[in-house]
Formats: sequence, structure tokens, C-alpha cells
Amino acid sequence: MTLENVLLVSAILFAIGVYGVMSRRSIITVLMSIEIMFNATVLAAIAFSRFTIPASLADGASPVHTAAVRMALTGHAFAIFVIAVAAAEVALGLAILFTLYRARESAEITDAATMKN
Amino acid sequence: MSGEFEVSRLADIAFWAFAALAIGGSLLVVTVRDVFKAAVCLAGSFLAVAAIYFLLQAEFIGVVQILVYVGAVSILIAFAVMIISNVSGGSRPARGRIAAATVAALVLAAVVFTVYNTSWSDISQIEDEDALAGLVGTYQEAELVSVDGNDQERRIVPADASAYGARSGVMIDSTGAIGVLLVREYVLALEVLGLLLVAALIGGLALMRDRRTEDQ
Repeated sequence: MTLENVLLVSAILFAIGVYGVMSRRSIITVLMSIEIMFNATVLAAIAFSRFTIPASLADGASPVHTAAVRMALTGHAFAIFVIAVAAAEVALGLAILFTLYRARESAEITDAATMKN
Repeated sequence: MSGEFEVSRLADIAFWAFAALAIGGSLLVVTVRDVFKAAVCLAGSFLAVAAIYFLLQAEFIGVVQILVYVGAVSILIAFAVMIISNVSGGSRPARGRIAAATVAALVLAAVVFTVYNTSWSDISQIEDEDALAGLVGTYQEAELVSVDGNDQERRIVPADASAYGARSGVMIDSTGAIGVLLVREYVLALEVLGLLLVAALIGGLALMRDRRTEDQ
């Protein structure tokens, strides 16, 4: 379990999400693919937080005090923000999907080409 | 030490197992025709990723992942699948599937190339004693600050064997440190995030309002 391995898994997940967004017609599946991509991003952030250090700490030049808290868990803070935004995004996306479904009786991307009314 | 070796070996095996679960689940999500099955696979994939977070010593993020993704997002999507009835006819693939696969492969190749051609600053390569102490003493320092809130008392607790055991598989509580970080360094982002969630809540309600029944 090295940084490269975790980033590799993250990249694979992201590529799967990209494929899903472009190759599927159902809006729900597209939303799910977007969630997979969010997950891959969070995984990368956590991996960086776990395995890497900022350059200023590596050479020991900076006062460590303030940098310590900031660096060791910055990835975790990023992860929390990304997860919160993703939750808001999926809630709004499903709301739009329901509205579209009520108007068009369809849940496919191609039917959403014009979203007026 | 053989004990440490075995722990890291075990973590390796667990990591690859959960990684395979996550990747397999995600692959099923984008290939299976039945959307409900895809939603179940998505929940499984989220669970596997949460397990990887635990392996990376991010236990708080792992719990949040299970609560938010497995508990809320997956259930929400499952509800959507059940309400939108004609989705059960299947999620038909779009036309440009080969193009999509090509683009995804290119993205993957670019990222993998970058990952393996960058020399990341590795935690195990630090030679400076003070920097290492700062790194390892992070959690203790955050705890200290949160208890008395006095800047005079901010100092770094030197590294000891148990704290540094983080790298050999011993878990350290990071929840309190994340809380301190969120209200100190990222307080503006936290407030904006609250605003965003309220906006999303109101927006969702406004979108779901049924005007026809409302007018009666």
C-alpha cells in the first residue's frame, strides 16, 4: 500500500466514472457515475494526506508549529468539503430528474436536450 | 520486527481486496442494464472505498463516507429508481460507447503516467528530526490547543513510539484534530458550505413543488 498504488486505484475509479457519464443514457446512471468520480477524488486527497508532506516541512526550514496541523490533515478537510458538496449535488440532481420525469415521462439524457418547461 | 511486517502485509492484502471490490462494483454500475442492481453495486463500491479510508488511517472520513454515501446517497438513488417506474426497462447504452471508452482510457493513461513519473515527497524520507516530530506530534498539539485554547501553550509534543506507530498500522484519533482544523483554518469554507447546503435544500423543495395540486 503505497501512494502510487492508492492513486492508481483512484485513477481507475475516475476513469470508470468518466466512461459511465459518457456511455449511459439513463440520467440516474449518469448521476451514479458522477458519484464514483467524486469518490475517486476524495480517495486521492486522503492518500496524499496520508503519504506526502509539503516541501517546506521536508527540508525543515519552516517553523513546524503552525504548519503541522495544517498539513497532516488538510486532505481530510478537503474530503469533508467534497463529500458535502457531492451530497448537495445528488439531492439537487434527483430533484431535477423528478421534475423532468413529471414533464416528459422519461428519464433519459436525450430527452432533456431542451429543459424549458 | 516481524510483527510490524505482518501488519503491513495484512494491510496490503486488505487494501488490494477492497480495491478490487470498489473497482468491480463501479464497473458493474456502468455496465449493468438494471438500474436498481446498479444502485446496489454502487452502495457496495462505496463501502469498499470506506474500508480503504480506514486502512489509510482516515477513520473519521470512513465513517462519514458510510453515513453520507452508503446511508443517504445510495438510499436516495434507490428511491429514485423505484419512483421512476419505466427505468426498470433498463438503462440503454448511448451510441458512442467506443468513444467513451477511448476517452476514459486516455484519462486513465494520463493520470497513471503522471503518478508514476512524479517524485512525491514521501513521509518516510524525512530526515530532519524537528520536522518529523512536528509531523507525528500533530494530533497531540491539536488536542492541547482545543483543551485550553491558549496560544502560549501551543507546542509540539515530541514523537514517541506509539504515535509513530501510525505507519505500522496503529490507529490514532484524528476526529478532534479535524474539528480544530475546520474551525480554525477553514472556517470561511465551512460557513460557505452551510450556505450551500441550505441553498440546495431550498432549491430541492422549490423544484419538487407540484404547481398543479398547489393551485387547487
